[in-house]
Amino acid sequence: MSAGFAPPVDKVQRGLLLLLLVPGLFALVVTFLLPILWLFRASFATSAVKALSGTDWSLEAYREVLLDTFYWQVAWNTLILGVSVAAIAVILSFPIALFLVRTQSRWQGVLTALAVAPLLTSSVVRTYGWMVLLGDRGVINSTLQAMSLTSGPIRLANSSFGATVALVEILMPYAILAMLSGFGRLNAQLEEAAAVLGANRFRVFSRIILPLSLPGVLTAALLVFVLAISAYVTPRLIGGGRVFVLGTEVFNEATVTLNWPLAAALSMLLLVLFSSVIVIYQRALRALDR
Amino acid sequence: MTDPHVQIDRLVKTYAGASKPSVDNISVSLPRGEMLALLGPSGCGKTTVLRMIAGLIAPTSGAILINGRDISAVPVYKRNMGMVFQAYALFPHMSIAENISFGLEMRGIPKAETEVRVRRALDLVKLSGLGERRVGQLSGGQQQRAAIARSLVIEPELLLLDEPLSNLDAKLRDEMRDEIRDIQERTGVTTIFVTHDQDEALSMADRLAVLSQGRLEQIGTPREIFDRPQTDFVASFIGAGNIVVGNVVEPGVADIQGLGRLQFVGGGRAGIPIRLMVRPHRFVLTNVACNGVNHFSGIVEHIVYRGEIVTLTARSGQAILQADLPTHAGKLPEKGSRVTLAVAPEDVTVIGDGSQ
Repeated sequence: MSAGFAPPVDKVQRGLLLLLLVPGLFALVVTFLLPILWLFRASFATSAVKALSGTDWSLEAYREVLLDTFYWQVAWNTLILGVSVAAIAVILSFPIALFLVRTQSRWQGVLTALAVAPLLTSSVVRTYGWMVLLGDRGVINSTLQAMSLTSGPIRLANSSFGATVALVEILMPYAILAMLSGFGRLNAQLEEAAAVLGANRFRVFSRIILPLSLPGVLTAALLVFVLAISAYVTPRLIGGGRVFVLGTEVFNEATVTLNWPLAAALSMLLLVLFSSVIVIYQRALRALDR
Repeated sequence: MTDPHVQIDRLVKTYAGASKPSVDNISVSLPRGEMLALLGPSGCGKTTVLRMIAGLIAPTSGAILINGRDISAVPVYKRNMGMVFQAYALFPHMSIAENISFGLEMRGIPKAETEVRVRRALDLVKLSGLGERRVGQLSGGQQQRAAIARSLVIEPELLLLDEPLSNLDAKLRDEMRDEIRDIQERTGVTTIFVTHDQDEALSMADRLAVLSQGRLEQIGTPREIFDRPQTDFVASFIGAGNIVVGNVVEPGVADIQGLGRLQFVGGGRAGIPIRLMVRPHRFVLTNVACNGVNHFSGIVEHIVYRGEIVTLTARSGQAILQADLPTHAGKLPEKGSRVTLAVAPEDVTVIGDGSQ
């Protein structure tokens, strides 16, 4: 019906429109698609050298990934790290984002900028900051010992606990940003309408604010999850070589043991993890929209 | 007289940091089943009054009594008010039926009864069969009907409408105006609506309360407001008017500075100053070219053809008179031509008690 009023797009115009896509498409193909395909090819090579020369194919790397329980453990660690970081970051960011969206304060803009200001510092620096806090002779442990609450240091860093804490803090600004952009349907008038209809504050929250903010929450969770499972620097530094996730293992295989096919196969595993989570996210969003 | 259903008693709202109150000592009472319009320009405090009645903002002082009981301390969710917001505020994540049943669910009404009541509410607003639609699938007029159904299904103490027609296009507006009035009469719900549109207020309401700068200027039936405005503000805000000042020369006759004698219905002692108003459409064109009592001859300075009427301004003496005259197929006055305008004494309105 409305098509009758749409301006006519003839073939020439359609061609011009497609032409506009070319620069972006070209950049994506060259910087994203081709490297991924190359990685996929490398995962079937028998060694780093063979991966470059393009001879000698085998499924050896995949056999190793699938049969060695160590890699199953690494994949599991990665998943757990991603899920817990996403869950904690979302729970902590939700009230902040909700406040920033709803506040009538004239400082709203400044407060929002402050909430995402940590992004101005490199995550490496922030990871070192957490090491200072969480290390065996860090601020927390020396305080606890000075107060004679513990006799020796508690392992806070060099553990997945430390990696989780640091990643949550590092990724929270992203969660807040994603929620701020996803809270578009929140509207003070809807809350007022619900209150007039007899909903107390708790029910206004559970029936109006929460369901309307879910798209933003889901997007934030997805973003933090993806960033957490692909993290390398933070788990490596704060984990002190004791935290094994796909990111650290890919780096290890690629640069230390120089087993490129294995590194590529592990990357593919990470990619599968990504895609399945994105599929779940899409389904969840559609279920929300109905 | 029976006890009023709703009594608003010396209501005041001063926002924090504001130098003067947004709502200043307003008192109104409504009998059960009445439809009252709060009319005024934007910023006059009418919406603030409505929101205080709903419980969305707390009054600074004064009381809101329903059946004689002060509800100003009752929290919003316990007040049992039906409110239709200007932008409808339908919940976008629920179907229309879910929107309508929300208030019933909050009241713990059993499912079977809820279904019956939702269906009846949908029928009332002529949305039968559209309960499963999403909010976005409804037109503006349908969304408003849904919002009304959602407010009425809880059998509210009062129905509150905030600028009910402002989001609709002109044609739908006329339709919804009759529709809202019809629904209100059928349900008998006491209703207060806020509007800045005088046509809307005059045509829908049993009585109008005209507000200006937080103060109640006048309250009365549409005819009282239109024909017996108590203040200059009411006289000029409701319809156009030629407001003139003069002195009473004998009861029922005033001498208007720069215009001449104007006869009006009403008394007044000789010598006192008086303010009078003539509505532009109450002037008639006469063929008698003369100056006399209530006959004013003048030169047309400006004329606008508007189809059914022509609006002209004519200079008579030192006064400028505005007149709306019905059109006909023959010769109409032109710019620069001489016309004589006449007005019947009963169509000359005394503003307030006449004093300046």
